[in-house]
Amino acid sequence: MRNRKLALGAVVAALAAAAAVALALGTATGSAKTTGAYKVAWILVGPHNDGGWSQAHVDGMNYVKSHLGSKVQVTYKENIAVGAQFSQTVASLSAQGYKLIFATSYGYITPQIAAKYPNVLFEQATGTYTAKNVAEYFGSAEDTIYLSGMAAGAAAKCNTIGFVVAYPIPEVIRHTNAFALGAQATHPGVKVKIVWTNSWFDPAKERKAAQSLVSAGACVLGQNVDSPATGEYAQSKHIPWVGYDSDSSSFAPKSWLTASVYNWGPYYLKRVEAAMNGTWKPGFYYGSINDGFTKLAPYGPGVSAATKKLIATKEKAIENGSFYEFSGPLYDQSGKLRVPKGQKMQVLKGGTNSLYGMNWLVKGVIGSPKG
Amino acid sequence: MRFTVERRLDLPRWRLVAVPIVSIALGLVLAGLVLLVTGHNPLSSYRQLFDAAFVSTGSLDQTLISATPLAFTGLAAAAAFRMRVFNIGAEGQLYIGSITGAFFGLYFGGRGAASPWVIALMVLGGMAGGAAWASIAGALRAFFGTSEILTSLMLNYIAGYLLTYLVFDSESYWRQTKGFNATVFPTGKQLPHNAVWPAWTLHTQGGIGVPLGAFLAVAAAIFLWVLYRRTRFGFEVQVLGDSEGAARYAGVRTRRKVLSVMAISGAIAGLGGVSQVGDFGHSVDGDPNGLQRLGYGYSGIVVAALGRYNPFAVLLVAFLLGGLENAGNSLQGANFPSGLVGVIEGIILFTTLGGELLIRHRVRLLRTPKTAAEAMP
Amino acid sequence: MNNSLIVVLIASGVTYGTPILFGALGELLAERSGVLNLGVEGMMLVGAAMGFWAEQRIHIGSGALSLILGLAVAAFSGTVMAAIHAFLVVSLRASQIVSGLALTIFAGGLGLSSYLGTDLNIAGVPATHTFHAFFPNTMQNWPIVGPIVFGQNPLVYFSWLCVIAVAYYLARTRPGLNVRAVGEAPGAADAMGISVAKYRYIHTLVGGAFAGIAGATFALAITPTWNSGDSLVQGAGWIAIALVIFSFWRAELCLVGAYLFGAAQALQPELQARNISLGPTDLWANSLPYAATVIVLAAVSWRGASRRLGAPAALGVAYVREDA
Repeated sequence: MRNRKLALGAVVAALAAAAAVALALGTATGSAKTTGAYKVAWILVGPHNDGGWSQAHVDGMNYVKSHLGSKVQVTYKENIAVGAQFSQTVASLSAQGYKLIFATSYGYITPQIAAKYPNVLFEQATGTYTAKNVAEYFGSAEDTIYLSGMAAGAAAKCNTIGFVVAYPIPEVIRHTNAFALGAQATHPGVKVKIVWTNSWFDPAKERKAAQSLVSAGACVLGQNVDSPATGEYAQSKHIPWVGYDSDSSSFAPKSWLTASVYNWGPYYLKRVEAAMNGTWKPGFYYGSINDGFTKLAPYGPGVSAATKKLIATKEKAIENGSFYEFSGPLYDQSGKLRVPKGQKMQVLKGGTNSLYGMNWLVKGVIGSPKG
Repeated sequence: MRFTVERRLDLPRWRLVAVPIVSIALGLVLAGLVLLVTGHNPLSSYRQLFDAAFVSTGSLDQTLISATPLAFTGLAAAAAFRMRVFNIGAEGQLYIGSITGAFFGLYFGGRGAASPWVIALMVLGGMAGGAAWASIAGALRAFFGTSEILTSLMLNYIAGYLLTYLVFDSESYWRQTKGFNATVFPTGKQLPHNAVWPAWTLHTQGGIGVPLGAFLAVAAAIFLWVLYRRTRFGFEVQVLGDSEGAARYAGVRTRRKVLSVMAISGAIAGLGGVSQVGDFGHSVDGDPNGLQRLGYGYSGIVVAALGRYNPFAVLLVAFLLGGLENAGNSLQGANFPSGLVGVIEGIILFTTLGGELLIRHRVRLLRTPKTAAEAMP
Repeated sequence: MNNSLIVVLIASGVTYGTPILFGALGELLAERSGVLNLGVEGMMLVGAAMGFWAEQRIHIGSGALSLILGLAVAAFSGTVMAAIHAFLVVSLRASQIVSGLALTIFAGGLGLSSYLGTDLNIAGVPATHTFHAFFPNTMQNWPIVGPIVFGQNPLVYFSWLCVIAVAYYLARTRPGLNVRAVGEAPGAADAMGISVAKYRYIHTLVGGAFAGIAGATFALAITPTWNSGDSLVQGAGWIAIALVIFSFWRAELCLVGAYLFGAAQALQPELQARNISLGPTDLWANSLPYAATVIVLAAVSWRGASRRLGAPAALGVAYVREDA
């Protein structure tokens, strides 16, 4: 009994000593130097070098830095879990004087956090919550995903394309639908088979999903998840592959067709500048091909000249507004008419017939929209 | 070099103080070497860590967010390990506690019951959930002699998949299913206001919110201390921990003891789970990138070991380790890689574990026969 | 026929079971000597990072050589990690459980493996070479045996050699019998002149080497890439520990168990792709290996059956010679 007490005392003493040493060091070297630069931070759900979603945001951050130079100080925080860890991160960023925070995943910003830091401006990707210091941003990747679907359809020598998908939520469902509609445009009647992984980034699961799709008859693969595992599997089976959200051609150069990629930089630059000169306002930004938010990655060897031409024509039509993939008539999997002729889907309005509320898959997609 | 280890008969006081200090200092030096080798200045890194953990504005507020769950899981591990019941299932018991506790909050809170009652029910519900989950491993150990180390570990994974299933893969009671936002991404159902736990604010360092959970953790530590030091139950548990044979001989009912210790340990972990919901998240966190990525249950075992299974030392270590995790989180970036905190934590644990031996044993270097022969003229 | 569910599941079971098998063989050797090492996950992650780094960055002529080098570096890194555990639990008699967990925290996804990988800058780049199926396409397309046997990467065949070697070693060789004695009755082994410490060290270290190879199997064969965090290994280390018990501490049963667990992991996407709905597949298929292990563990420990089935009696207990 006595020994235990002593031991406890020892641990306390040791820790106190360690703390004292650290404190002494702390006061000796002084506090971090402050500069007049405007501080902007990015909070990432994955590693900064994931070769996908998070890396694209870091590229955007570097774009801002390269344009504004010493006028801004930028940083990122990676692998931040939704919930308590996010609020800890915001607290420390705010204490360090960060004024504008880009939260690059849905679920990060809650009304409580927005209210707790009224002097911090928040921007959240892919969500819908806005407040006086919270803006939302995303964009019509579906347009370029449609174009990448055209490349997949043209490359398909059989009647089934496999598509590896993350979560059964409207964002992924609309991307899947756009991909399927694009594939059907170049390959009438082609089926798009889906397998959910329930994760944005899980290489092993994505590979298993890809494998199961090929064994179920797919001869081209596509994806709405972040790792290049699907492409690596496609290359091992000598079949074409369409990536998502970054140019991952180096992982499977022979299979690579193209991918819809994000370009966050210009939006970030605009918002940082607005925040710096006090004109920042909350809002809901939905980028497009026209303002450079989304584009197609360079083509791989499997895309024929004829297909490239077809895609280029369609891209022009999307740019000048004469074509929109989500205009009626659109039918769901059971063949029911969902969007009548002449009607165009909107981003937020229209319930399950809006881009942010879509919970049904278009005709020709095989799989359940519920995961 | 060969050496032999002998048990000491004497136990000088200074040794009990010196060994842990030297161990931790050695840990810091070794971790510093890792920093140095990879091109960081160890002194300035440690200073930054300490600042970000305890000194800078708002740091203590955030440190408590990490320290509270670590205190619960640390106490859970201490309660069990002390009697050599190796419950490494605090992680899963924490998940289950968050599920059952949240149920009481959503159900009774939603019915408009008075806040103190709702919170009390949540606390009990969380503890019951954690205890029940731990009792699976406890019962298997008590009745079949199955190693609780492995069963409790396996049950962590099952609990994690269950947690994710409830929010991401089904339309369960815990999932937000109404409203436009609910369709955008799967989230847990928000607790009603009367189920949200209160926090007390200390007006220093820009405001430090002390969550109810922190007080409950202190209460749990006092409970454990009294239980193990001042009751017959505690005495029997200690005898059992020292020697199962002796305990049997003394008439201790080992099955019951194993079951109760496991249940107490699980209840504390479950309390940590419901504190996550009531204090911090206000909804069940089923996201595999959320609660499940933080590994509080596993870190809790480290906390317990560093605190030598003493409840009050566990609280202190949880606070310090919470600071380290919070600091790692706020410092990580281009010149502070995110793996660093785990490395420092691991090294300090290694040195402290290793040092443990030196408190009660003497290490003597042995000369090998050959060198002995050479040494002779 | 080769696309039928059963053939695909067996083939996937072999592919995804292989890293678990490597990890389990290593853990089996350590446990047979009486050392429980819960750090398998951490050792795998460090092996994955270092193996990938070596293959990606060190150029030594041919692809095969660079892959073998990657594998060797992975095995060596795993050994170094295991050495920490061995020193603590064998020489310093620290708690095997706490030390193993400390190793996972130290080396794992939020520790050394992320630190090293980020520092060595190997995230988000493809491997220069990978282990892939090398039999001619016609052989890979043979019915049934094509995908299951000839469509596998070389590490699968290597794992078969390892199973035979470990099984033979434990059953038929003098050191193999000695290690069983050390795990069963260290006191008696010591009296027979067997160095308990030496045996425990060697088997823990070899266990680490196997874990490192398991990590490299992910990073160089299954998903040839590296990323910080634990997304690469995803709990395979813990499944490997479960598998050792599931297979009653026997190498040949490890093989069967690993393939069962591997197939369970592939079940959910395969059912989805075939539009077969069997309830909450994600929940039960993912939980299956863990639940099965709990049940097997409970069943065999009933009335001390686990002893008869091979659990080393001295597992987890530090050996102290009672003389001095």
